[in-house]
Amino acid sequence: MNPVTPYIEFARKAFAREGTYRLEVFTNVGSLVLRVYLLRCLWTALYAQNAAPPNIPLHAMITYATVALLMSLILEVDGTRAIREKVREGGIATDLMKPISLPLYWFSDGFGQTAFHAMLVVPALALALLLVHVDVPSPAVLAAFAVSFAVGYGVNFFLNFLMNVVAFWTLETFAIQLMIRWASDLLGGQIVPLDFFPGFLGTIVENLPFAAIYSTPLRIYIGELPPAAWLGAIAAQFLWLGVFAVLSATVWRLAQRRVVVQGG
Amino acid sequence: MPIIETRDLRKVFRSVKRTPGALGALRTLFSREYVERAAVEGVTMSLEAGELVGYIGPNGAGKSTTIKMLTGILVPTAGYVSVAGLVPYQERKRNARNIGVVFGQRSQLYWDLPLIESFELLRAIYAIPAERYKKNLADFTELLEMGDFRNTPVRQLSLGQRMRGDFAAAMLHDPRIVFLDEPTIGLDVVAKESIRTFIARANAERGTTFILTTHDLADVERLCRRIVLIDQGRVIYDGAIERIKDQYGTHRTLVVEFSEDYPVVAVEGAEFESRVGNVARLRFDRRAISADQLIRRVTEAYCVSDVSIEEPELETIIRQIYVEGYTDPNAAPAAPAAVP
Repeated sequence: MNPVTPYIEFARKAFAREGTYRLEVFTNVGSLVLRVYLLRCLWTALYAQNAAPPNIPLHAMITYATVALLMSLILEVDGTRAIREKVREGGIATDLMKPISLPLYWFSDGFGQTAFHAMLVVPALALALLLVHVDVPSPAVLAAFAVSFAVGYGVNFFLNFLMNVVAFWTLETFAIQLMIRWASDLLGGQIVPLDFFPGFLGTIVENLPFAAIYSTPLRIYIGELPPAAWLGAIAAQFLWLGVFAVLSATVWRLAQRRVVVQGG
Repeated sequence: MPIIETRDLRKVFRSVKRTPGALGALRTLFSREYVERAAVEGVTMSLEAGELVGYIGPNGAGKSTTIKMLTGILVPTAGYVSVAGLVPYQERKRNARNIGVVFGQRSQLYWDLPLIESFELLRAIYAIPAERYKKNLADFTELLEMGDFRNTPVRQLSLGQRMRGDFAAAMLHDPRIVFLDEPTIGLDVVAKESIRTFIARANAERGTTFILTTHDLADVERLCRRIVLIDQGRVIYDGAIERIKDQYGTHRTLVVEFSEDYPVVAVEGAEFESRVGNVARLRFDRRAISADQLIRRVTEAYCVSDVSIEEPELETIIRQIYVEGYTDPNAAPAAPAAVP
């Protein structure tokens, strides 16, 4: 049998599992649409009262905020969250007794969940379009956005993985998790575009790994990054992806050597 | 060649030393003082393929730690370990193909999905060939009577059903060795018996090697011929259950039912233990007096309607060993005479 088969199977099971909680699905879409509407009101009011950055007009800003929310539907899925729970409750032991790569297992599981949530993007977008206007860029831009988003998805996975794998050392990672999550949302451009950071702070923020998750694909989408800049931006994302992947592999090797199963 | 072999296997856990109190907690954050605790201290044992061995010991004796080293999820501090020719911690994934695990207190089934889906997933994980999978699934469904609940989500199963599912899950890929950790905990008598029957059959018919870790010594007594007894990280006994019973079970209990009421029951050579109604229990040392002799003495002195002899249960013996420690009677004989 193909060595990939188990991982495809994990993703399928995760997909099926997500579907079992229907109410959650509806609330997810509902709250997203509500947030889209609120953000439109917020940005419109802010733009009416304050000087906005010259490179982002209001319609681009609303597009940015809406697309960022739709992206979060996918990016907020954290397949590696299970690490934390399993280390704390000891289930990690049974997983380690299987002939599988656990990081790949968590990736596939997360991917299955993601695939389910990605389907929700469609109704969420349809409903959102009733409330706001979203710019639709050219196919070339959309393609570049898709590539950039995929790389960002990878960076996000490894970031989550690193946060959760800390559980092998501290067993309690919630505070770290919350801090990094806030940092990555704010510094990654999910809440506001990084253009809003003043001067040198903006330069720093744009060069942090968090920017690879939301900011780069979004700046491609709204056209802030011209086609000439795509290659460089995506290359920077790949760089972070590589750094995080190597870091994750190292940390995972160390983690495996120090399995302390709770209650064993 | 033994299927499982360990030599002087050791595992030392190191943890940060904690100082009590709020200030102490603060100090723990910065100081790097460690306390070392040896969970397993030189375990040497060897199992042949097809054995069914009880691995027992009090809480904290080092049983789980040993099992974790055998399954490859804990790296030993020192010593040699080999499972089906592999060094588990060096080849965790390859080792995983040879073993199966059942934890009574922790299911490995997918909580939200029907039981059968967990099996399908395991089929993919272990790359079980279609024919083999179909056959094993059919066999286990019959043996474990899973037909009625194979399509029920695991969270809706009773504990007994879940355990049966866990057994099938652990054995679908025909592992050569299966580790059982408290497999009957919390089950009712009927469910316990069906699990025990299943283990015995799998051992006899499939030749699967089982290591059974449990506090329920009835499991061990029913299933195993050999036990490895561990205490404070060391093996204190390794051998046949019969032998340990022989060594420790020097006392028997004669249960006598009298046909008349006797206010006092006293028989030379036996110790009066208890009495309920007209049934008395007399404890005797079988080295000092034979059961035959004792019964004769009792029947000469009293009118007896029924007698029976109770052998000590493994549980009683093990409890005694936990409390007193194990001493090999074949080793240097104790010399009470030397004590003035």
